[in-house]
Amino acid sequence: MSMTRAELQDAAAKAFDGNLTPDAAHSWNLIADMGWLMMAVPEEQGGLGLGRAAAGVIHQALGRTLVAGPAIAQMLVIEALSAAGGQDELLGRAMAGEVMTASLADGLSAVPDADRASHVLQVEAGIISLLPVGDLAFTARTTWDGTRRLFDVDAGDAAGIVLATGDAATALASRLSALRSVALAADCLGGADAALAMSIDYLETRRQFDRPLALFQALKHRVADMKTALVAAEALFWARASDTAADAVTMGAMKAHAAGVYRLIAEEAIQLHGGIGLTMEHPCHLFLKRATLNAVLGGDGDHWEEARGRQAMTA
Amino acid sequence: MSEALDSLRQEVRDWLAIHAPKDWRGQSTSEAAFLELQRSWFATLAKAGYAVPHWPENWPGGGRSLAQQKVIYEEFARADTPRLLLSFMSTYHAASTLFEWGSEEQKQRYIPRILEGEIWCQGFSEPGAGSDLAALRTRAERKGDVYVVNGQKLWSTMGQFADQCLLLVRTSSEGVKQAGLTYLLLDLKAPGVTARPIHQIHGDEEFAEIFLDNVEIPVADRLGEEGQGWAVAQSTLSSERGLTLLELSARMRGALWRIGDLIRANGRGEDAGVLRDFGRLASKVDATCAVADQFLANRIAGEERVGDASIVKLAYSRTLREFTSLGLRIGGLEAQYHAPITFGGGMETGNWMADFMNSYAWTIAGGSDEVQRNIIAERLLGMPREPKNWFVKEGAA
Repeated sequence: MSMTRAELQDAAAKAFDGNLTPDAAHSWNLIADMGWLMMAVPEEQGGLGLGRAAAGVIHQALGRTLVAGPAIAQMLVIEALSAAGGQDELLGRAMAGEVMTASLADGLSAVPDADRASHVLQVEAGIISLLPVGDLAFTARTTWDGTRRLFDVDAGDAAGIVLATGDAATALASRLSALRSVALAADCLGGADAALAMSIDYLETRRQFDRPLALFQALKHRVADMKTALVAAEALFWARASDTAADAVTMGAMKAHAAGVYRLIAEEAIQLHGGIGLTMEHPCHLFLKRATLNAVLGGDGDHWEEARGRQAMTA
Repeated sequence: MSEALDSLRQEVRDWLAIHAPKDWRGQSTSEAAFLELQRSWFATLAKAGYAVPHWPENWPGGGRSLAQQKVIYEEFARADTPRLLLSFMSTYHAASTLFEWGSEEQKQRYIPRILEGEIWCQGFSEPGAGSDLAALRTRAERKGDVYVVNGQKLWSTMGQFADQCLLLVRTSSEGVKQAGLTYLLLDLKAPGVTARPIHQIHGDEEFAEIFLDNVEIPVADRLGEEGQGWAVAQSTLSSERGLTLLELSARMRGALWRIGDLIRANGRGEDAGVLRDFGRLASKVDATCAVADQFLANRIAGEERVGDASIVKLAYSRTLREFTSLGLRIGGLEAQYHAPITFGGGMETGNWMADFMNSYAWTIAGGSDEVQRNIIAERLLGMPREPKNWFVKEGAA
């Protein structure tokens, strides 16, 4: 990697300077301008060739400030176009920021920003294709998580540009699943880190019984458990993100682990903030809502933990 | 790089096929058999260069990269070799502390003897100084070229079998309690030393208490300066909390098959709930291994922060509890029937009730989980420390 992880993290932190839920359109332009959409694409296809670990840095940054937009879905389309080969024109447009989206769940459900997209990726058994939106119908599905805009897409009998079939489609579907897990896990870990930092700040500032809440050992120990869970999940994330041999189940289990840690920290953040954490004006709830949505997108914990259990049975 | 690792893995596997002790679990049910097995297995490993892969490269058997160490530990766990419990404190705690604080003369005197099988234990905790270690009261008074030591030490792993002891004593009662501590190397054969085993809840006796009655220790056997003991002790504790856990977490990963076998044997192989719990545990074990790896990589790069080792220890101790707890749960009634323990069998022996009870050794010893949480919150995250003033309800004291 020509750019170190730390350098990329610095650049990402500067771009999204800690203000939560930045404007969606502005964020999208920033993501495209910084070249983040071309991060994982090989250099010979016009990308930066920085791989999955670099994409992980980006999605952590987006998760940390709860950036809206279809970045994860766009990365999946870009991965598919790059893997298919011979799609340089579409690939170039996608890397430049023309919205092309994909499902973050099964079939064509939970498709982010479908109404702004030019194409939707369709992953089916034995065939992966890119459908122009003109032929599609979509229904907006309002989520509790207000930082995401999801749609159910009805493809009818629309035919698109075929990117892979047969064994190639199976292999690509597996790659897309792994990449989706990496991106979602990164989003989880970025959000968890921000929610934890916010909670610690609050405990140090808020005074009750003539002392800062941070003095109470009962609260400090919970914070220590959250920190330990987060550091371990981050270590697992970096080990997996740079492991090119990791399969979809291994990545899915890692994502389930990261989502579990995000949910723990987001839940605890509200409890530790007390009354203010219950209010719409305070951002605590934004983390909890994104955490619970992330937990079900890309296969939920039950699915991946069972799959990982079966895998461990034969190890 | 990965080709070189694959070839190391094969080399270790081939070596283990010939040299790994066979059927030792069935035989290691007496103390004498345990000691014999531990000594002979350590000697075999030392000769082959596998006893101390974590040592620096200028010492025999050392100089292995992190990745190489992991391969070695994983293969040893897979081959189900005895864990080196007897020499654990010697090769980790004693060696790490000597490497960091020992004079050249002290290193040359003690390090080679570790490879020859000399056993070290640690004399830190006391009846009145557990979590509050710095409150220890074992007293050392300097008389000419020796310190005269009086007091009692507790929870010394393998203390009843050890030759040497890493001893933390009080040389002064002035100023803050940490500043009055000094670190000594005690020859346990010295007159006035008595070591007695402590009987633990799962039936083993891995710890001892040590009584010190006018024991003389040469001043030459002091590590660091007088009054520097707390700083030296941090090096020992950091080794315990971080360094040892690369091996132990790799061993835990290598022992996941025990739970897989148990699930199959009890006909739960298609029970989705059980499979999920197993999968969740496997991810936690993976995360524990990853955080231990990351800790060591940072340590080698000189980027270790105060509290990092506590995170590794807390992650390991809680995961080990979950590991043994899942085994105990799936083991059902069968796991409640008493079975003789395997001395030195490691943390995951498949004797589930014994393993579960033994997991407390890691949530309490070496700084309890609660102490680690304090360190993480106060030292790593910078949250405020406990206030000093307090009172006890009338009649409670």
